[in-house]
Amino acid sequence: MGSPVLSLNNVQLTLQGNAGPVRILKGISLDVEAGESIGLTGPSGSGKSSLLMLMGGLESVTGGTITALGQDLTNMNEDALARFRRNNMGIVFQSFHLIPTMTALENVATPLELAGDRDAFKKAKAELEAVGLKDRADHYPAQLSGGEQQRVALARAAAPRPKILLADEPTGNLDTSTGETIVDLLFNLRDRHGATLILVTHAPELAARCDRTLELRDGALA
Amino acid sequence: MSLIYAATIAKRELRGGLAGFRIFLLCLLLGVAAIAGIGTIRAAIDQGLNGEAATLLGGDSEIHFTHRKASEEERHWIESNSDKISEVLTFRSMLQARPETDPTPGLSQVKSVDANYPLYGEVILAPAMPIQAALATQNGTPGMVLHPALIDRLGLEIGDTVRMGTQDFQLRAALVSEPDTTLSDLGLGPRTIVHTEALNSSGLLGPGTLFDAKYRMLLPATADIDALQSDALAQFENSGLRWRDRRNGAPGISMAVERLSSFLVLVGLAGMAVGGVGVSAAVRAYLARKVNTIATLKSLGATRGTIFATYLMQIGVLAVLGILLGLLLGGGIPTLAIPLLADQLPIPIEAGFFPAPLLEAAIYGLLTALIFSIWPLARAVDISPAGLFREISGSANRLPRWPYFVLVLLLTVILVGLAVRFSGVPMLTLWSAGGIIAALIILAIAARLTKALSRRLARTRLMQGRPALRLALGAIGGPSSEATSVVLSLGLGLTVLAAIGQIDSNMRATITQQLPERAPAFFVMDIQQSQIDPFTAAMLAEDAVEKVESTPMLRGIITEINGVNAKEAVGDHWVVNGDRGITYSASIPANSTVSEGEWWPENYTGPPIMSFSEEEAAEIGLKIGDEITVNILGRDLTATIANLRALEFSDMSLNFVMVWSPNALSGAPHTFLSTVYASREAEGNLLRIMAQDFPNITAIPVRDVIQKVSSTLESLSSAIRWGAAATLLTGFVVLIGAAAAGADARVFESAVLKTLGATRRRILLSFALRALILGAAAGLVALAAGSLAAWAVMTYVMDSGFVLYWQAAITIIAGGALANLAASLAFAWRPLAIKPAQILRNQV
Ligand SMILES: Nc1ncnc2c1ncn2[C@@H]1O[C@H](COP(=O)(O)OP(=O)(O)OP(=O)(O)O)[C@@H](O)[C@H]1O
Ligand SMILES: [Mg+2]
Repeated sequence: MGSPVLSLNNVQLTLQGNAGPVRILKGISLDVEAGESIGLTGPSGSGKSSLLMLMGGLESVTGGTITALGQDLTNMNEDALARFRRNNMGIVFQSFHLIPTMTALENVATPLELAGDRDAFKKAKAELEAVGLKDRADHYPAQLSGGEQQRVALARAAAPRPKILLADEPTGNLDTSTGETIVDLLFNLRDRHGATLILVTHAPELAARCDRTLELRDGALA
Repeated sequence: MSLIYAATIAKRELRGGLAGFRIFLLCLLLGVAAIAGIGTIRAAIDQGLNGEAATLLGGDSEIHFTHRKASEEERHWIESNSDKISEVLTFRSMLQARPETDPTPGLSQVKSVDANYPLYGEVILAPAMPIQAALATQNGTPGMVLHPALIDRLGLEIGDTVRMGTQDFQLRAALVSEPDTTLSDLGLGPRTIVHTEALNSSGLLGPGTLFDAKYRMLLPATADIDALQSDALAQFENSGLRWRDRRNGAPGISMAVERLSSFLVLVGLAGMAVGGVGVSAAVRAYLARKVNTIATLKSLGATRGTIFATYLMQIGVLAVLGILLGLLLGGGIPTLAIPLLADQLPIPIEAGFFPAPLLEAAIYGLLTALIFSIWPLARAVDISPAGLFREISGSANRLPRWPYFVLVLLLTVILVGLAVRFSGVPMLTLWSAGGIIAALIILAIAARLTKALSRRLARTRLMQGRPALRLALGAIGGPSSEATSVVLSLGLGLTVLAAIGQIDSNMRATITQQLPERAPAFFVMDIQQSQIDPFTAAMLAEDAVEKVESTPMLRGIITEINGVNAKEAVGDHWVVNGDRGITYSASIPANSTVSEGEWWPENYTGPPIMSFSEEEAAEIGLKIGDEITVNILGRDLTATIANLRALEFSDMSLNFVMVWSPNALSGAPHTFLSTVYASREAEGNLLRIMAQDFPNITAIPVRDVIQKVSSTLESLSSAIRWGAAATLLTGFVVLIGAAAAGADARVFESAVLKTLGATRRRILLSFALRALILGAAAGLVALAAGSLAAWAVMTYVMDSGFVLYWQAAITIIAGGALANLAASLAFAWRPLAIKPAQILRNQV
């Protein structure tokens, strides 16, 4: 195996809470190989989402370094991070985070367009079809069910063929069977495109489907 | 029962403070303040006018003759009906400081008075002395007082000798103020006051000179002004007598004030409507935040009526607060400012507390708040709880249920009805209200079209690869877009501005276009029959003079048409109101063409005939063969209309409504009116020549007149522009409100877009494009609607042509787009600065 796709070195995160600084992540080191899938578990409040945000460059570390695809994320400014994500990362959130003023199709096409893809809409259509939402393309998020919204979010994350997929409890807001469909889709995507997957979840059986499971406890890897 | 419940909930919700209602309050406050302010100023002027009416008029009543003094009989009537009278003559004349060495003349508006002047008030002089003392003859030289501007221009000192006509006067004092001045008196040249007795040897009051005689009457306390007026008019029916009294002391001013302020009230109403759009948007934004509360209340069993009452009560409390603040501002500022400004205004104005206009503004404010709140409220209340929980606010774009619809309609009718009653210009108000409502409807449709079009456009291939533009279009076309309130508020504000801008440009153009390329330098009046030949020769002897055109001129009043009293025959038309200039000519005057009938032969000797202006003839229903009787210098002369003439007004030469055959008038005493064409530089020299050789004539510098007309117009249009600015300010507040209401959504969008790989530049670009597109859409519609309104005003009110001025037009569109851009960029920094994680982790 070559160099790791994602490499965390003594990563720390301290945020300013109401009652003073809160140490959320207390020195996390981790290497993720290309194509690997990792299940990240841990009790509520242990810092899973925070760690994922850091990996996605949505939050800056207060200590340590994060290297992704050989680039040091901790040294990039916001726009450079955005460009990096545009080309290399897909992120799925527990509460979908679709843009309410865009239709399903427009939501999926947006990252492709931002990356300058001329066939953005064609690819977006195909991606929606792959998650079984071809006939919902022109619906706005408010007109879709929770499961449908998450499938749109998934299609949006996968459309640019990112090398790294980050998913934060993608099934947390969904019932069990809908959740299973989503996870199937997620693994399906990873298998088809060979992406690296970091999956945050509370469900042990989901984590078990990953190549490797990590547990976070009180801001540190157990 | 449910009302008490509603009140309880309303009270609980209002505990949360006014934060969400700043825009609501500000919009209502501005709208109410503008109307209250305008109303207060108008009331203050009315009060000032009433208080000073008698003083301004110079007496309790006044009888006015043009071109002549009262006859024995008339004078007898005036004296026998008054406790005291004062005769005042006014005319224009040239003054010379040192006729021998430096004959540079100054044109002045002369007032010659008798021993009883002034009946009311006091003439203030510097150095201070009584007016009669200043005018008295000392050592054989009569006294004179002059306006300081004239003293300056002629380089005089108190005590110097000044020549007017052929009479020398001694300058005794500067005129600081005279009690009986009106705007119309300020017309041509600064004031001179002399004693009438001193004029007997001046040659200035000869037959045919243009002076006005006014007889001011001090009436007994028991006098019945109405009866006196009818008696005077009946006794001297065809004498050209004009009557004024203290009841309408300064009709010119009060009418101008009335016109202007009613126009401003209308602009104020437009501002109120813009404020209403803001109110509506604020209520909608507030209800959007209350969606969960409303849905929960509904699922707990609250009826629609209860919920409607709950929120209407909150809105009512806030509306009352906004209105009170608006009244405080609108009533307070003029009350504080008037005493400071009163001295600088040419019209009397008296500060005070005027409840009527405040009440009026309060009622407009309350009705507006209700009309624009009920609409969104009724819609929110109608949505099912499931819909409320699920749907994003604002996406429900249908009409409210019919009872609410009828209520809104009813309140609108009441509002318009009150405005029609209060404004004093019912037709104009009705048209304007119709215009405002039509503009709102057009703008609402335009907003929908913009949304639909944006949605369409966002999907086309054209947008592929242009994510910022597509994001902007998608956001405009998408649900919960602020497009409607932005287009409505900005659009309405810009419509008012566009209409005013176009009217303004057209009025200015009308004036400048009427200036011919070679404008005449002077109109010269009062040239006696014996002077006309030497005058023409003297002028043409100068190199700078290109040509001199002279026309005989008489003044007269049309008294009868076909033997019937003229006013009864044609009603209240300017041609039969007051005296008209009349000329005679053997040939067709320049700049006119005979459009109907035949011109008379060169040496016509038959019964008197005349040519009448085609346009005026059509307006008052005259045709060839009609007999017109005109009173000229007290004599009735009758002539038959032989032909109609089309006039060319555009070159600013002199035109007369009536041109008579020479044989009918050439025997009557008359003067000549000349138009002198000369270069600007030669004006001073020509004036000197005229003053020296023809002291009795009056030369009116035409360029000065044009200057005066355009500066009057200037002040009128700037007043109107201030009114429009108030509307625009309200519009801008609404824009800020819309931007503020959308700020949270924008922050979220920005966070997600960053996650998907958008740079800050792109996000900013997309926000900016969104604002520009909406602003341009509003501007475009405003331009169309405003130009339509301007065209209607120019065509039907001003009786003039209309041209679309593109520069003004494009400024409006660009201004609209930029205003919206500024408002939205003001709220763009937070979405751009914030870290995505901060937003996304808290959004569940
Ligand atoms: N802006 C913030 N300021 C201070 N502390 C924060 C902030 N955001 C989150 N935290 C704290 O950071 C800790 C980690 O939060 P995080 O969301 O990463 O947990 P998590 O493991 O994802 O939990 P869950 O399983 O409930 O999603 C929590 O204790 C939380 O209260
Ligand atoms: Mg979490």
